[in-house]
Formats: sequence, C-alpha cells, structure tokens
Amino acid sequence: MNPLNLSRKQLALITLLTPTSLFLLIFFIGPMLIMLTYSFLEPGLYGGVEWHFYHWNYGRVLGWADGIYEEFDPVYLKILLRSIGLSVATVLCTLFICYPVAFWVSTLSAKNKALCIFLMTLPFFASMVVRLYAWVLILRNSGFANQFLEATGLITEPLNLMFSGTAVIIGMVYIFIPFMFLPIYSSVEKLDKNLLQASEDLGATPFTTFRRVVFPLTLPGIVAGCILVFIPSLGNFVVPDLLGGAKVLMIGNMIEQQFLYARNWPFGATLSMVIIFMMMIILSIYLYKSTKKQAGL
Amino acid sequence: MKKQTPLGRLLSIYSVFFFLFLYAPVILIVIYSFNSNPINIMIWDGFTFDWYRSIFGLATSLTDTSSYVDSTDQLLNALLNSLIVAASATLVATFLGTSTAVALARYRFKLHSFYRLLLFVPMVMPDIVLGIALLIFFVGAGFTLGNSTIIIGHCTFLTSYVFIVVSARLAGMNPLTEAASADLGANEWQTFRRVTLPLILPGVIGGALLSFIISMDDLVITYFISGVDSTTLPVFILGMIRRGIKPEINAIATLMLLFSVVIASAGIYFKSKNTSTH
Repeated sequence: MNPLNLSRKQLALITLLTPTSLFLLIFFIGPMLIMLTYSFLEPGLYGGVEWHFYHWNYGRVLGWADGIYEEFDPVYLKILLRSIGLSVATVLCTLFICYPVAFWVSTLSAKNKALCIFLMTLPFFASMVVRLYAWVLILRNSGFANQFLEATGLITEPLNLMFSGTAVIIGMVYIFIPFMFLPIYSSVEKLDKNLLQASEDLGATPFTTFRRVVFPLTLPGIVAGCILVFIPSLGNFVVPDLLGGAKVLMIGNMIEQQFLYARNWPFGATLSMVIIFMMMIILSIYLYKSTKKQAGL
Repeated sequence: MKKQTPLGRLLSIYSVFFFLFLYAPVILIVIYSFNSNPINIMIWDGFTFDWYRSIFGLATSLTDTSSYVDSTDQLLNALLNSLIVAASATLVATFLGTSTAVALARYRFKLHSFYRLLLFVPMVMPDIVLGIALLIFFVGAGFTLGNSTIIIGHCTFLTSYVFIVVSARLAGMNPLTEAASADLGANEWQTFRRVTLPLILPGVIGGALLSFIISMDDLVITYFISGVDSTTLPVFILGMIRRGIKPEINAIATLMLLFSVVIASAGIYFKSKNTSTH
C-alpha cells in the first residue's frame, strides 16, 4: 500500500504538486531549454537546423553576419537599441501620466475611489487587439485625428501620424497604462498623509517634501510599475506591427519574421534569448535591491 | 471636504483628461460601428445595424461590394475555437493552479520558494518568447498545431494567474478551521472537500473567470502555436485589420468589448463577495 513509507501529509503534498510539476516541466521548462539549445545551433538551408554548436547567431545579433568579420552591419543591434529606446519612452510616458492621477484618486471618497479602480481595471479585460485597433482608426491618414484637425482648420493636408515611433509609443502607452497605474496607486494609497503635514510643519517647501518624503515612499510602486511596463514593451510585436509598419520594427517583429518568413529558427531563438537575458538582468537587480532593503541596509 | 487649491483643481482636470484618454478611443469604435458610411468609416452618414447584420450573415441593405466578411463561417469558427480553447484551458489551469496554491499555503517543504518562482516566471515572460519556445517544442515533438496545442500553451501561464488569485484567498483564511476538521477525525481529502474548498471557492471562481478572459484575449502566444484551421478570434481580427480597415471590424470589436464588460463585472462581483466574507 505504501512502499515508500510516506506519511499521509507527504502523500497529500505529492498528490497536490505532481500534476503542476509535470505540466510545467514538460510544457514550460522543457520548451525554454530547447529554445536555449536552438540559439546555439546552425540554421539549415531550408528552414531546418544543423545539430552542432554554432555561436554566430549571437554574433549576428551584434552585427557580424555568420562569422565574417569584414561585413560588420549592426542592423539587429540598431533594432534592439530602438526597441529599448521605445520601451524606455513608453515607461517614462506612462509614469508621468499615471503618477499625478494616482494622487488624485487617493484623495477621493471611498466610493469614487472604487469607481476609478474599476475604470482602471476594466481595460485589463478588454481585448488588446480591439484597443489597438481604436488607435489605428484614430491615427491613420483618413482617421479621426486628421479629420478633426482638418475640420478645425489647423491643417489642410492629412498628417502622417501612423507608422512612426510616436504612434508605437502611443499604442504601447495605451495598452500598458494599467500596469503602471495600479502599483503606483497602491504605494500612494499606503502613504501616510500625516507625513506630508509633518514635513510642511518642519519648514520644507512642497518640492522638498516631494523629493525627500513622497518620492522615496512611493518609489517601490514606481519601480514595480516601470518593470511591469518595460518587460512586455520590449518584446511587443503587435503594436509595431499595426502602428509602426516596416519603418519602426522592434525586436519582436524580427523574431516573428525569423519564424514565419525567413524560417531561420535558431536566429529567432537567439533574439528571444536576448530578451530573456535583459529581463533576467532587470529582475535580478530588482530582487537584489528589494532584499537588501528588507535586510535593513 | 476642504476647498480645492489651484493645484488640486489642475490635478482634477488632468485626471478627467486621463480617463478620457483611456476611454474615448474605445467609445469611438462603438459609435462608429453604427455608421452607415461604407467608404470612409470615420465620416458619419447615418445610423445603421447593417454591419452587425453582415457579420452574422443576415440580409442587409448593402451592395455586395461593400460587404467584407467573405464568410461568416470563418468568423463564427474563430469564435467557436476561442470558446473551446478558453473553456478547456480554464478547466485545466484552474485545477493545476488551485492544487498548487493549496499545497504551497498548507505545507512547509524544501522546494517552497522554487515553486513560487516557477509559477511567477510564466506570468512575466514576454508573450513572444513563450510563444516561440512552445512553437519550437511542439514542432520538434511532432504535435499537430491546432486547438490542443493552444490549450496546452495557454495553461502554462493561466495556471500562474489562478495560483495568485487562489493563494490570496487562502492567505485570508483561518488555518484553524482545517485543524479543527482534522481534530474531528476527517482525513486530508475530506477536510479539503468539506472545509477548504467551500471556503476558497470564490477565489477559485474568480481565478477561473480571470483565466477565461485572458485566454479569450490572448493574441501573441496563440498567433505562433495555432494551426491553419484553429484561428482564434483575436488572431482572426488581427488578420482582418492587417488586410484593411472595414466597417465590420467595428461591429465585431464592439461585441467583444460588450462581452469583456460582462465578464469583468461578473469577476468584480465575485471579488466583492470574496472580500465581504471576512
């Protein structure tokens, strides 16, 4: 009946954990390891792979195509840097947009607060494609923005609003705003308002109060929000696909191309690994800093 | 309430604009889904239900050339796939997420923090990375891409969401009720079924609703691991938008928004029940 001589508790624990452990081992850890392996394999001629160690996929990300040093062309590095730039811009925009609003919401009555939080969480449930599609309608040449500007007489010819870095940033800000707002709001909500009064009583100017009291105390929320916006922005391919066009490619579009059109899977896997490495660096810094803070250093 | 300072007033105006920015684009879609102008869908030309009739294959007053969805079957098929995938993935993910949450909340063991990390990582992993990792795996392992691969793919990250929601519920529960059940002679399974499960049920339902909606909405992962015949609704809509903006998309988008609001309200109802019990 019980050959391993386990207690009832141990049996219960094993029963509870086995399904998830097996599932995630096979369908999550497994695929991740295979992708890591793929990033070190040579792409075959017709979309397959050659099973031997090949490090030039990573060389290619930096600009050396297939190990030939003469042809240095950092096209992928440029796209990577552009992705980082657009993601940083998205993070900064969402931060500046959400921070004041979080304070405003925290001053409302309990009922209005609940309403605002509901309005902030609702977009989580609405389809991302639909929300992005709204911006396609607004920004395209015969779109709402141009119609509006022409009607007011500000412009006579439609502006090219789509297919620009700005359009991509607007789209990403729009879909990731709740990820920034909710963590910031929860830290603003926890802020003891008496501290602001105390700071003022001690003669601090509003700016000093902000810099020395408010900002440090809401920093955990800011950092969490920035990470939650930066990571999905970096790997995003739907926003640049719909609003950026061919001119504003991001690393996500490169990965898609390698898999669906160029059929160079090892290189696509390599680009994915680059995203994972960057994510790991950010998360380890975050965890290191937050554990250090908890330890009281 | 004390009198507003000029700064406070500025902040209120700014916040009103913020919520306008959040909702105006979506409301625009809803309004223009009733616009009868087939050529420029952003110029108001009168009220119509034609686009809604058109997507369901009903008779419209449109000429053939302005109709866009060449086959209603495709759309309904995508919707059906989405529902099948979301329902199956939710069922599996709810089972996996709940059992893991119970295990981690009620037992102390060596790999505790490892399991926390294991369930955290799929949630923060960028969609595209998970999508292509699964694609390489499925193709390599000889799976045929279709509804089953999408269900498996969705479960990898939905489990984490259910886990988070159920864990929060378990954390607010008094563990002594379970101890009492054990003292009265119930075994682990009886305690779980008669004491723990009824108490965490609102959390389980909340987690299930959340995963259903995330699964219905998932675009990127599904995009990579769906087969030719297993397009889901978001992937189908992305395809439509890529081919060109047509008024039917507004109608489909509006119906999807309506659906999301209904599910979200149900979720928030369960959440309020969740918090009111303690």
